[in-house]
Amino acid sequence: MKQSITISLALIILMMSGCAGPKPMYEYGNYSESFYNLKKTGDSEAISQWKTALEESIEMSNAQAIRIPPGVNANLGYLYLKVNDADRAISYFEAEKALYPESTVFMQKLIKKAELMKEGQSKS
Amino acid sequence: MNKYLKYSIVSVLALFFLSGCATRAMVTKADEFPGMYSEKPRSLLIMPPMNESTAADAKDYYATTIEIPLAFHGYYVFPYELTADVLKQQGIYDSELLYTMPLNKFYEYFGADAVLFTKIRKWDTSYMVLASNLTVSIDAEIKSTKTSEVLWKYNGTVVVDLSGGNSGGGLAGLIASAVATAINTAAADYTTYAKKANGRFVGSIPYGYYHPGYMKDQQLQLVDQTPQEQ
Repeated sequence: MKQSITISLALIILMMSGCAGPKPMYEYGNYSESFYNLKKTGDSEAISQWKTALEESIEMSNAQAIRIPPGVNANLGYLYLKVNDADRAISYFEAEKALYPESTVFMQKLIKKAELMKEGQSKS
Repeated sequence: MNKYLKYSIVSVLALFFLSGCATRAMVTKADEFPGMYSEKPRSLLIMPPMNESTAADAKDYYATTIEIPLAFHGYYVFPYELTADVLKQQGIYDSELLYTMPLNKFYEYFGADAVLFTKIRKWDTSYMVLASNLTVSIDAEIKSTKTSEVLWKYNGTVVVDLSGGNSGGGLAGLIASAVATAINTAAADYTTYAKKANGRFVGSIPYGYYHPGYMKDQQLQLVDQTPQEQ
């Protein structure tokens, strides 16, 4: 009798821990699929899907309080750089750098590029 | 007694040879890839894949599959979409030309600790009379940007039988299975199998800084892929 109580307690604990589950390391969302479509078609629809996937990855990561995957902030910054939105580009490059110090050298180059773009815009 | 001894030696030898054919030698990560543990690269720059396959589009498609597994393995992976564009602007699209060159430029420009070279060896479907196979085979290498030495290398190969195992007898069966093969091949998404091939080599890389197993997997065993000297 005692034994069966122990076993059922163990089972309950096992099931409860199963429900809680460990957090995933990263949340990429539709990164992979939309990146593939971007390479396949490269049209404006694929670009906007890619942008949405990146934004969703950030939202999903923040919602679970986990680290945003490597490159997601930088990729978004690059999209803004390409449409001449230097301020937003810089903020995403800064976010990548803050999260991953490994990216510092490269992000610094991109931030400089965006700042030069801004200067050019304000002169014209 | 002598007779038994002789028999047992013969059978032990026979077993030894037989098992030698069937099993593959195992090595630990630390013995196989000591450079990874001494240099401890934290960041990987993915080079445009080299393509030996007959599929011209394999290069771009394959490139979309490799970032995620490396990130989950604990590495800071530079965003390929961005770095590939930057490299292209510098006139670098074919990694073949870079492979034998000093790699310190990539440390200076990107701050990358190491560079990942991949070579698509196979990305195709081979037709036989009754069945067809889809093969994706990838060679991968991590090279240091400080010494340009190879720190790690492995191959991942996936062969998929697309015939669906249907080999019903008679002419009708043959036609039916040929049709099934054509349909399966058309629907086959190579990147799905490329992801599986990636899974076969990524696991052999020592864990990166962002993985809980970082610097704890030296004794993990893996299949020795080093060609044996004859």
